[in-house]
Amino acid sequence: MIFVAVGTQFPFDRLIRCVDEWAASTGQSVVAQIATGEYEPSHADWERFMATDTFNRHLAAADLIISHAGMGNIITALEHRKPIIVMNRQHELGEHRNNHQADGLAWMGRLPGVYTARNCEALRRLLARMTELKPADAITTARRQRLIDFIDRAIGT
Amino acid sequence: MSRKARLFAISSPGGHWIQLTRLCAGLEQRYDIVYAMPDRHFQSRQSQKVYAVTDVSADDKWRLIPCALQVLWILLKERPQAILSTGAAPGVVAILLGRLLGIRTIWVDSIANVQKISRSGELVRHRADVFLTQWEHLSDGGQVQYQGSVL
Repeated sequence: MIFVAVGTQFPFDRLIRCVDEWAASTGQSVVAQIATGEYEPSHADWERFMATDTFNRHLAAADLIISHAGMGNIITALEHRKPIIVMNRQHELGEHRNNHQADGLAWMGRLPGVYTARNCEALRRLLARMTELKPADAITTARRQRLIDFIDRAIGT
Repeated sequence: MSRKARLFAISSPGGHWIQLTRLCAGLEQRYDIVYAMPDRHFQSRQSQKVYAVTDVSADDKWRLIPCALQVLWILLKERPQAILSTGAAPGVVAILLGRLLGIRTIWVDSIANVQKISRSGELVRHRADVFLTQWEHLSDGGQVQYQGSVL
């Protein structure tokens, strides 16, 4: 199963339509979280919003995650050791307040287990070889621990 | 009697919250952490004390007023030693109020902001006691510090 999630802040019809039409043509099983999108998937099972437990259950059951380029879903997918494809929202298309998702796409693609697409065509190319997409081995914790230790000291001083 | 110092952790829902909770996971043993976050879809773990506050973003600035009143009430009630936020607007509210009340304030700019400091971060970079970016190249060697990252 493939789990698609676009966050809760804005709709992302371009991504949902892209995956739904692909799923219809290939018969892939897809569960989608679509927020306030106007496009209602015809092939994928979908919900607008999910409680945390439901979200995590779909994520755990999925072989692959597809998401907007939001850090919440990226971090969660990495923690569940799932490969994730992210497509960035575009400010010019009214999909976000600014273009930080486009700005961040290059470094996101350097994270192990994270694959990036700038548009539907690029996403379809990745889906065509989805069995090759591998999850990260383990989340690296050295930089996180350094930050936590610094905050710990900063609270006290 | 030894009592753990209290930390107030606040952010927007979604990616900001995921980053905040991953940092707090490493601080929970040493601090009594009180959280605040605006999200109707969220279910907290039983061990977490999470206050719901009015959601506010750059698109609906009028909500700053109820949000600020709620945060002020939480700060007066909980009396935290420090405030930690990863953004966005609710964190700005908490940092500004914390400064007014003389509470130590720590801002961690979201890792999503890789080319420049976030818009909400810009509002508090001269006001937070500690201002951290998660990108080495955005550190200015002074006020804006890089000291590690969530990923």
